Amino acid sequence: MPDGLRRFARNRMAVLGAIVIAIIVLVSVLAPFLYPKGAFSLAGQPLQPPSLQFPLGTDALGRDVAAGVAEGARTSLLIGIAAALSAVIFGAMIGGIAGYYRGTVDIVLMRVTEFFQTIPAFLLAMLLVVILSPSLLSVIIAIAAVSWPGIARLVRGEFVALGGREFILASLGLGASGPRIIFRHLLPNCLSAIITVGSLLVATAILLETGLAFLGLGDPNIMSWGLQISAGRVSLRTAWWVCTFPGIAILLTVLSINLVGDGLNEALNPRLRER
Amino acid sequence: MFDLQSIRPGRRALLLASVFGAIANGAKAQTASPRRGGTMVMLVHPEPSTLAAYAVSAGNIPPVTTQIYEGLLTYDWDLKPAPLLAKSWEISPDGKTITFRLQEGVTFHNGQPFTSADVQYSFMEIAKKVNPNGPVILAELTSIDTPDPLTAVFNLANPAPYLMVSLSANYIPIVCKSVFEGTQPMQNPSANRPIGTGPFKFAEWSRGQFIRLDRNDRYWKPGLPMLNRIIARFIPDASTRSAALEAGEAHYAAYSAVNAADIRRLQANPILDSTTRGYGMTAALTTLEFNTRRPNLAKKEVRQAIAYAIDRQFLVDNVLYGFAKPATGPLSSVFATQGFYTDQVRRFDVPDRIEIANRLMDEAGFPRGADGKRMSLYLEINSFGEQWLRQGEYIKQALAQIGIDLTLRSEDTATWLRRCYTDYDFDINEPFYSAGADPVVGVHRHYVSSAIRRGTTFVNNKDYRNPELDRIMDAATRENDHAKRAELYHQAQQILVEDSPGAWLCEVQYVTIFNRKLHDHTGPLGAYQALDRAWLER
Repeated sequence: MPDGLRRFARNRMAVLGAIVIAIIVLVSVLAPFLYPKGAFSLAGQPLQPPSLQFPLGTDALGRDVAAGVAEGARTSLLIGIAAALSAVIFGAMIGGIAGYYRGTVDIVLMRVTEFFQTIPAFLLAMLLVVILSPSLLSVIIAIAAVSWPGIARLVRGEFVALGGREFILASLGLGASGPRIIFRHLLPNCLSAIITVGSLLVATAILLETGLAFLGLGDPNIMSWGLQISAGRVSLRTAWWVCTFPGIAILLTVLSINLVGDGLNEALNPRLRER
Repeated sequence: MFDLQSIRPGRRALLLASVFGAIANGAKAQTASPRRGGTMVMLVHPEPSTLAAYAVSAGNIPPVTTQIYEGLLTYDWDLKPAPLLAKSWEISPDGKTITFRLQEGVTFHNGQPFTSADVQYSFMEIAKKVNPNGPVILAELTSIDTPDPLTAVFNLANPAPYLMVSLSANYIPIVCKSVFEGTQPMQNPSANRPIGTGPFKFAEWSRGQFIRLDRNDRYWKPGLPMLNRIIARFIPDASTRSAALEAGEAHYAAYSAVNAADIRRLQANPILDSTTRGYGMTAALTTLEFNTRRPNLAKKEVRQAIAYAIDRQFLVDNVLYGFAKPATGPLSSVFATQGFYTDQVRRFDVPDRIEIANRLMDEAGFPRGADGKRMSLYLEINSFGEQWLRQGEYIKQALAQIGIDLTLRSEDTATWLRRCYTDYDFDINEPFYSAGADPVVGVHRHYVSSAIRRGTTFVNNKDYRNPELDRIMDAATRENDHAKRAELYHQAQQILVEDSPGAWLCEVQYVTIFNRKLHDHTGPLGAYQALDRAWLER
């Protein structure tokens, strides 16, 4: 891994992305201490432009936009990571079983996966949130439910490719059980691909969450960047700051995660090692 | 060069006259005189799903259909009945018989003459049977006699003082009997190709785009209408609607066709102007409903405390962009015109309201816990748009001051309505009501115990039962003496505000935005009235 880390460090943009993410994580951890009253509290006069007291201005109800951006960072990261992690675990499980056992199991599981892939992800997520009624958990479930098929197909592909290799045949010959081969030999060998794709999933999950909150399908009790933008949209022409700062936060976060994902890909992908 | 001397005297006089004439015309343009012709474009949002105004009471239908259908009556600026299809009327001393003399020489757009048979059919066969307002407004109407083609006699079981304020085209449009006879009203071909007696005829509906109405050349009011054509345009996006007005492409936008956040900007535009007139019969209130079945909300002290905790002026300024005023009770102050409104009730807008609220919560037996909280409640977010979430977010902060931990729940419209009006699985709900022309039409059903009807939306879902209030509202329904009726409503407001089965937040003030080239467009009923006198400057 130190080798991989060195390769990662050589990619300047990836390091920059990692620094930005570190700052965002720091802000989201510090948010409750910086803004103990919470992002929904009515802090001052509505629609004040950025000033010393309110560096990012206030929104239509007089809430501090900076507090919202800080608390929104926590929401976005929490939902992004939780949803991506659930999608990765579930997707890897489905893909792993299909890719290892093949045959009928494979056919059934892959048809189900394709079924999910054919429905537009955002529409399905909206539908799920509406059915489950908007809350933190239902948003995570909805995003995970639309994100896992990609991981499942990836893992299946890797398993199928690795399945005929000598070391797998050797383990089989030595009488190793299915789960042992899956967890000891197959999964570790495609971990780098899963990590790379999984990190990019975090970015997609954050965008999905923002989109849902923008449409009023987020948890109304939790501050999020999407909620801030949708609240500020009506006053865009009179108070640019309400939408703009959460928008910049989304841009920076998603861009940084993508940069880090590219960096991870280069660092972990053996085929790119010569570069 | 131009030399006046070189022109012959006769010509010169003529030329001078025309030059002065042009100057005089220029001066006159300031107060321009009515001009015939032109196409007016109005914005209607959202697009109506149907034009069957006789059977569906959605607020986005009348701006189109009141150009086509007419009512027996219209109303003046004091909301007193004024003639339309009925030229005059007499009410018998006992209030049980109303005789209408009808306008002569009126024809429907299909050429059929308008007679008392059409009135009888419109009320007895259409309005009483398929109009959603029918069961309330026409509850006492037993029959209509037609002694001659121009006389219609309404026979009532009991006096119905609210009937005379509910006879405009937006409530009960007069339809042509021969078009409907022997058909299902909703399946009638004229549902979406309406045939009425109004100043404009239905021409074309291009779904998702516009409805075109053409001048009725045989309109019974001499010389009217002024316009050749009205186009009702449907633009789903709010900022595009505002832009259409700014660009001069649309001339008129009433009700919520323009986003409240854009109104100030549009008012500053030199080609546009605005008015708040013409909404006297709307009486729109934003409110909270409390589910009194819930132990936390069963005591009136808690409900009053919530009413005290909310700063209505804050909602007016920051959620409704200033286009509203604080409400004092269940009746909007627009009812002051009729003498029904009173502000002599328990007032929640006192300076020490937070202290009072906290004291009431203590008295009700809900002391603050170690974390400063007294109770946790849910607020169901109204699903009809953005502003309701903003209102909910504010109320959550406001109730935190008195130790109530409010959780907001936002669901889709169907789930929200089922939760609040069928399952009764809610604590606080934030609906929006229009009272209509008379309290009987849109106020009673929220508070009388007979209106606790599971599954019916926007009725008494609070389980509020007060025999005294039931008696007063029942009496007000039948009371023929206006002063006595007003006194009953004053009592009802005092009882309701004291019991606080709901909290009344803001009286919404609609704003009509119009192009300065459009004149004489807003009458006492605003956008729910024919634009027969409206005219466009060139």
